[in-house]
Amino acid sequence: MTCRIIPRLDIKGPNLVKGIHLEGLRILGKPEAFAKHYYEQGADELIYMDIVASLYERNSLAELISTTAQKIFIPLTVGGGLRSIKDIETVLGAGADKVAINTAAIRNPDFIKEAAEKYGSSTIIVSIEAIKKSNGSYEAFTDNGREETGLDVFEWAKQAAALGAGEILITSVDREGTGFGFDLPLVKKMSESVSIPVIALGGGGSVEHIHEVITKGKADAVSIASLLHYDFIRNHDMLKADYSDEGNIDYLKSGKPFSNIQPLSMKEIKRFLINTDVACRPVEV
Amino acid sequence: MKEQLEAKYGLPKEVKFCKRCVMSNQRPASAIEFKHTITSKKTTLHFDQEEICDACRVAEQKEKIDWKKREEQLLALLEKHRRNDGHYDCIVPGSGGKDSGLQAHILKYKYGMNPLTITWPPILYTEYGYHNFKNWLDIGGFDNISFYRNGKIMKLLTKLSIENLLHPFQTFILGQKNLAPKIALNYDIPLIFYGENEAEYGNPIADNNISLRDKSYFAMKNLKDIFLGGVCINELMEKYGIPLNDLMSFLPAGVSELEKSNIEVHYLGYYLKWTPQEAYYYSAENTGFKARPFRTQGTYSKYNSIDDKIDDLHYYTTYIKFGIGRATYDASQEIRNHHLTRDEGKILVKRFDGEFPDKYFSEIMAYIEMEPDYFIKLCDNFRSPHLWKKQNGEWKLRHTVNLDGTDDL
Amino acid sequence: MHSNKKIAIINYGVGNLFSVKQACETFGMTGVITSSPEMIETCDAVILPGVGAFGSAMQSLEKNCLVPVIKKAAYSGKPFLGICLGMQLLLEKSHEFGLFDGLGIIKGEVIRFKQDKGPSQKMLRIPHIGWNRIEPPLNRTWNNSYLKTVPARSFMYFVHSYYAVPDDPDIILSNTIYGEQKFCSSFQYENILGCQFHPEKSGSIGLEIYKTLASELDSHGSI
Repeated sequence: MTCRIIPRLDIKGPNLVKGIHLEGLRILGKPEAFAKHYYEQGADELIYMDIVASLYERNSLAELISTTAQKIFIPLTVGGGLRSIKDIETVLGAGADKVAINTAAIRNPDFIKEAAEKYGSSTIIVSIEAIKKSNGSYEAFTDNGREETGLDVFEWAKQAAALGAGEILITSVDREGTGFGFDLPLVKKMSESVSIPVIALGGGGSVEHIHEVITKGKADAVSIASLLHYDFIRNHDMLKADYSDEGNIDYLKSGKPFSNIQPLSMKEIKRFLINTDVACRPVEV
Repeated sequence: MKEQLEAKYGLPKEVKFCKRCVMSNQRPASAIEFKHTITSKKTTLHFDQEEICDACRVAEQKEKIDWKKREEQLLALLEKHRRNDGHYDCIVPGSGGKDSGLQAHILKYKYGMNPLTITWPPILYTEYGYHNFKNWLDIGGFDNISFYRNGKIMKLLTKLSIENLLHPFQTFILGQKNLAPKIALNYDIPLIFYGENEAEYGNPIADNNISLRDKSYFAMKNLKDIFLGGVCINELMEKYGIPLNDLMSFLPAGVSELEKSNIEVHYLGYYLKWTPQEAYYYSAENTGFKARPFRTQGTYSKYNSIDDKIDDLHYYTTYIKFGIGRATYDASQEIRNHHLTRDEGKILVKRFDGEFPDKYFSEIMAYIEMEPDYFIKLCDNFRSPHLWKKQNGEWKLRHTVNLDGTDDL
Repeated sequence: MHSNKKIAIINYGVGNLFSVKQACETFGMTGVITSSPEMIETCDAVILPGVGAFGSAMQSLEKNCLVPVIKKAAYSGKPFLGICLGMQLLLEKSHEFGLFDGLGIIKGEVIRFKQDKGPSQKMLRIPHIGWNRIEPPLNRTWNNSYLKTVPARSFMYFVHSYYAVPDDPDIILSNTIYGEQKFCSSFQYENILGCQFHPEKSGSIGLEIYKTLASELDSHGSI
């Protein structure tokens, strides 16, 4: 079975942002441009995360989802602040294929069951943000690694799967955005804890990291952000767009690279994986 | 008829909110801490005719500055001081947070200086804060002198500053401000670099156009005029039996010593465009800085001032004294830096401002040997009537940026 | 290139209908998302999409009085496309969460993947989610089918836990292997195409199926 490589786009308002440890609002450009590029480059799916939806209790991605679904014919997962069946319905109706839920599921686990029964398990991804504690265990967090839940990530994942989740998206908050590599023990143990697909996210900084998280971490899919986004912006001028509504573009103006990331295109990633015998969908020529 | 409400601390009687950010006009400028007593009148954040605060005006100016020219000035300054004989040529005070991470790293690796980092440690280190400190030195790669102050006196002064001024952070601020010039004198390193210029936060705007830190911040002339923890030195010595020797580390270097020296204090933020979030990214990238592994209580962020457990309590006391919580501070800064819109800032203030920092509270109370209930009662004494009203047994702000204070509705 | 051919996209409460519509419109067809039997009858082709559970889907079709019009369309000879759950519903019965009757338009049943441990000792992931190859059975080509412009062994996007087992192997258009289980990933019986994968989610290769549908409708209105 091929491993999916899924770009993740963190979105605040009209802008694509990229944080570290799920913190920070460094703007890298406009999500539409990135999405189109990744689709053309052979991405297997896309994830859109509205990273401030929970913070401001608002959901604002509908228009972006529809625009995307008009031109981009690969599965789109949308997450961030989905609190009710109605929220899910709006997002799916706008053109998303799957939803990622976190806070709402932890607050009321039956929400997973309700959503899975209505829309099908495979539509419902449970997103888990993991932070490693000093005793070596991993606690699940909500709100971009902000609110403690007291839940062990593996126990929670098992519960979510039993309630009907179709996939688990496991994010290492400790690694996210750093480029230091995925948390392999976290991903591997997650993969062993459930029999539904596990998507690994957080820390991908090189093509070797991606290879490792698939072969050693046993991930079924890999989601990456920094690695791809920093590659996209070094070859495309993101300053041409309009940021007058909101957003600090000092970083874009500086033109600096991000040294802990080995920026790569989707094509380069897939080529490497295929050359090292990791099954993935080849990029269409 | 409107009641004449007392405004404590010399705060403006009318509460106003900046039309651009979410800060109020009650925000005090940085005090000269060793002159700080309960009767001290605060200089507060100035609002102009359009009801826009000085800090927002400074932020506006930031966009118009010729940063290339400023960098050239920095290069000239560094050229003057750079040493290639193994001797340190500048001091970077800090504790491995996002700002000192950037300051030390950029001076060393981009500008080829040989910085000595110096640290007045947090009163009560957080675990991840200490980890960041070590990473600063181990990953960033710097020499460091940390001054571990007399713990007995530190505890007493912290307790006194809470009791007399409701200011848990005074001892830290004192040490932080005063240590660098003393080390500069001792080690003959005449160049000190701080990060952001305090004018960015609304300290008198005149400050920002000269890069030298006003020497009045850290010079002292006469012991008799010095207060620590709101208590004058003589009383500390007589009533609390503290020998003068034990207080010296909290006091600034003498004015005459400083004047004889050629020490210069500069803000890197004068020379390089400073964005706190970008400092976070830089430090995460280069000095192993990690954000707090949970939301800071009282606000929505995870990257600002996370190494001292008392810091959270400090912001709670600013909420009590000035009606300004940590979310207001953070949101105002982020609005000025265009990360947030004002509407978003208002939501964050409503949601998080004034949240009680219970995570470390018991530990702090145990440290200073104070009863938690006593602290709560103390807080009530510091609430200014013009800011607070008790309604149904609960304290509520009279005015908020969301216009939902008791006197707004 | 507007062909003014109308494609009824049956709305019975589940599935990403928006993308199906977009895929139709990419090739100039008008995608009409509808749950009205009258509207469905007037369309030139019908798509039965779907995601989710078989039993509740059948319930929904019955509640919305869609079963007769679907059967009529399927037997009428006009192009009929069943996607994912829509493909499964065409069969006689499914074992998902019990035993449920389907539309019975195609003989056969719907069964679940077996949860085997693979050679790497990793449990087979169910649902089957991701890109997998579709291959024509031995001695079969895709000429004269909806897949005629799709290269053999192309990757398509799958997301399902159950799959169709048609009684008649001759209608099987493609097989796919998941874990060590081979299953029918598409079949075509005359005008009816059933795809377990999502052609509107399989990039430009998947879109070829919509393109073929459009060109066939333009030329003579049926495959």
